[in-house]
Amino acid sequence: MSGKIPGVNISTLSALSETNRINIVELLRQGPLTVGEIADQLELRQPQTSKHLKVLSDNGIVEVQAEANRRIYKLRPEPFQELDSWIQSFQCVMQERYDNLDAYLKELQKKERS
Amino acid sequence: MSSNSMVSRVENDCVLILERVFDAPRDFLFKMFKEPEHLKRWWGPKGWEVPVCTVDFRPGGVWHYCMKCVDPNQGQFFGMESWGKGIYKEIIEPEKISYTDYFSDAEGNLNDSMPSTEMTLEFIDFNGKTKLINRAEYVSAEALKTVMDMGMLQGITETWDRLDEIIQSLK
Repeated sequence: MSGKIPGVNISTLSALSETNRINIVELLRQGPLTVGEIADQLELRQPQTSKHLKVLSDNGIVEVQAEANRRIYKLRPEPFQELDSWIQSFQCVMQERYDNLDAYLKELQKKERS
Repeated sequence: MSSNSMVSRVENDCVLILERVFDAPRDFLFKMFKEPEHLKRWWGPKGWEVPVCTVDFRPGGVWHYCMKCVDPNQGQFFGMESWGKGIYKEIIEPEKISYTDYFSDAEGNLNDSMPSTEMTLEFIDFNGKTKLINRAEYVSAEALKTVMDMGMLQGITETWDRLDEIIQSLK
């Protein structure tokens, strides 16, 4: 198999591949917000926003913290790190292989000349 | 990483693209992917060897291989064997090879619970050298079906670049 075992979560990708949800994620990059604040900034209705936040929360993309009587939504970096580390490890493994191929080609070409 | 390599990420359905120029003529480079005696000399990542490498090089044919970790510095991986099975789809010699790469075992069974990768290799003549374009598409049959059912492939396509930015900003 083309590399070490990847830890990618396809459901994370599915959860993210919806325009409103990726907009929410991009908004939360700048800092945690409440449902109301998110809905306002993205000009969405609150129930719709809650629905999207639930999907994101179920997939571990956001987490909620209760502060007094406010519920604050915050981005969790772990799923993105997982995706990134899969991408990196695949790229890494293929790069290593091609480095090996490069060295092997040089070896063969040297032999041919002698 | 070598300065010969350029890595980019493209939006369609989780495709990774690696491009690299090799200082070898195209026919010669193609042989490195076709012939098991050559393939086994470079397919293992650093610290891994390829003790088994059988190739039936035709559309529908199978490439069955074992990668074994021989590097004691790789901790839990040392001594580990990882079997793969490639099933060739399209072969246009010396321009193109496409195959699906699966996790496998010594008997050649496909491990369906692990993701497979659609690999496409394009070999392009480049002034006596060869430019290799390697496209890898990560596919988990079950996940793909779920995603297709949800009509979300299009969504993933559109959001991939934005996702990339987010990943980078959270590092």
